[in-house]
Amino acid sequence: MQLPEPPKIAAVEVVPAQPTEADRAAIAHMGAKEPRAVYVVKVRLKAKPPVTSMAWALYVGDERVPKYWEYADGIYFTVFDPQFFVRHKGKQLRFSQNETDFFDTGVELAPAPSVAEGNAIRLPLQADVLN
Amino acid sequence: MTVAEESGERKNPGLPGNEEFDTLIYGSPPLAYPAALSQYAIYNTPDPAYVTGRINVSAFANLGAATPWPFANTNVPLNGHVCIPRGRGPFPLAVFAHGNHNPFENSTPGYLYLCHLLASHGIIAATIDVNFLNGSNFGENDARAIVHLEHLKQFRSWNNTAAHPLHGKVDLNRILIVGHSRGGEAVGHASFFNRLAAIGPVVLDGSAGLGPYRFGLTAVAAIAPTDRQFVPPTGPTVVPDSYFIIHGSQDSDVFTFEGYHTYERAHAVDVVNPTVSDGKFKAMLWVHKANHNQFNSVWAPESAPGLAMPRPSQEQIARVHLGALASAVLLDRRQYFAVLRDHAVASAWEPAGTDLVSQYQDPQRIFVQHNQEGLAPPVVSLPVQGTVAADGVVAARQLTALVGGAATTTITLRLAWNSVGTRLLLQVEPATLPAERYKAMALRVGQSTEAANTAHRDQDFTLQVSSGSRTAAFPASSLHRLLFPDTPPFGPAKIVMQTLQLPVARLIEHGVDPSDLRSIALVFDRRQTGVVYVGDLQFTH
Repeated sequence: MQLPEPPKIAAVEVVPAQPTEADRAAIAHMGAKEPRAVYVVKVRLKAKPPVTSMAWALYVGDERVPKYWEYADGIYFTVFDPQFFVRHKGKQLRFSQNETDFFDTGVELAPAPSVAEGNAIRLPLQADVLN
Repeated sequence: MTVAEESGERKNPGLPGNEEFDTLIYGSPPLAYPAALSQYAIYNTPDPAYVTGRINVSAFANLGAATPWPFANTNVPLNGHVCIPRGRGPFPLAVFAHGNHNPFENSTPGYLYLCHLLASHGIIAATIDVNFLNGSNFGENDARAIVHLEHLKQFRSWNNTAAHPLHGKVDLNRILIVGHSRGGEAVGHASFFNRLAAIGPVVLDGSAGLGPYRFGLTAVAAIAPTDRQFVPPTGPTVVPDSYFIIHGSQDSDVFTFEGYHTYERAHAVDVVNPTVSDGKFKAMLWVHKANHNQFNSVWAPESAPGLAMPRPSQEQIARVHLGALASAVLLDRRQYFAVLRDHAVASAWEPAGTDLVSQYQDPQRIFVQHNQEGLAPPVVSLPVQGTVAADGVVAARQLTALVGGAATTTITLRLAWNSVGTRLLLQVEPATLPAERYKAMALRVGQSTEAANTAHRDQDFTLQVSSGSRTAAFPASSLHRLLFPDTPPFGPAKIVMQTLQLPVARLIEHGVDPSDLRSIALVFDRRQTGVVYVGDLQFTH
């Protein structure tokens, strides 16, 4: 048998959205000021891999994305801190199943759009961003 | 516990017992499952006494947006199937959870074959719905753990409700949680969370719906689990309860035997206080030719035809060994600990020709050599005092990728030889090794696929144990086979060590005085060349 192939990324899009109730609680627990936006990083895949337990861990550079979720066109994760995008500017998204072999996707993390002070209340809900 | 209690009669624990039981569905209706999720409609008509509430897991997980669940992560259902022995009880409780799979197929009934077995032996056994966390997700195993604990809480609530049919029937001090795949990782987190008052911002006192827990978890069992997909802020989860793991060599989903890392972290030696034990055991079973999916009776096998054993054989092995575990820890039939200590005890109950590798660590043990002092040449481990001499054998302690993927976080001792008669000699100061207080000498050792080992041939050597002027010698093969690794579906073959147990009584029969033990040698006189990996050497129960 052949080792599973890593997913191929079609595009990465970063969309500011309103924090959920759970996001607000997590941000407050971290002692941070509530941000203007939570950033939904949508990773559109050319084809979703089969659903397995092992699956593919997603990395930005060397940092593993702790949790990601499925939406219709691929996977997404959320970022609270805009510095994440500064820290990982120009870094590739990578996949690994075993922390040893890493597969570069050739796709870099997209920058976060700026969110003006007054725009926060007009941001979409995360659920709407994913539809 | 006496030897007599341990040596009671053992019947095949994989065969049904004599208890009659009823199988019920519990659930959180009404939920408008769409046609694509019609398999879940069964949970809309639970037994009237077994209607459950919903829980909020939004602090831990989102639901896959590609699956049209008729609920949000703020109100997920507590659905399941439960097999309840007839009679007054109280009965121990075992709760199974599946792992990640296509969410359009209900994975929950896949462990009913094990629930039926346990219920027939007088155990309330349930299998729970965690399908709403399934899909192309990652890192959600903390949520799976919370769901598992909330199901236990539901059983506690029923047990404490005067008018409920389960009132007073659940023995809340005898609980086994079992998880498969990501559910297998999650039971380790559940064991850890069970002791916590809060997880991040989530207070587990019931005020926000979740918790309190603090259940009497007797043991945690993981079937082909993942590891570290969720990592708590405090670092990789160390399972605090007694731990059992079973995994197949033909697993082509979790193909790197991730759970071995969980096993190694659990109840590991404290190098600073090596004689301190947390009072828990751990046991491992590595099943040649078992795959991932066949532990769940509704999942189609993932293996190419002919690579894995037939499904009935794999289910039989699961019945025998999980049945033995449940008998030992839930029913107090302590004679079944013998199956955990040595899988050969169960050989008559296994499918013919099954190759297995097993490890066991008892809470009562003293290490002669645990190898965790560092990567320097091997030593005898304190508080035992002595010396180590490698005579013609290359002895190197190293962090090795024993099971594929990342290197294990515990050090193993690699021993390589290329001529007959070489040996590793441990000379010990007898006053520092009270071997007479223990029942067996235990050595974890396994062979690799390196060229020095002949393919598909068992490795072998001689264990020599001396006291004063008396020396006894035992071929390792007289204690257990040291199997050549099975060829995996992909990636490198795993080096899975076997625990060899040499009873102290046999040493005494051969004239060795365990209270005056002077040396232990691994003499490589049975194969011309070879490479083996040694985990630890201990005296134990």
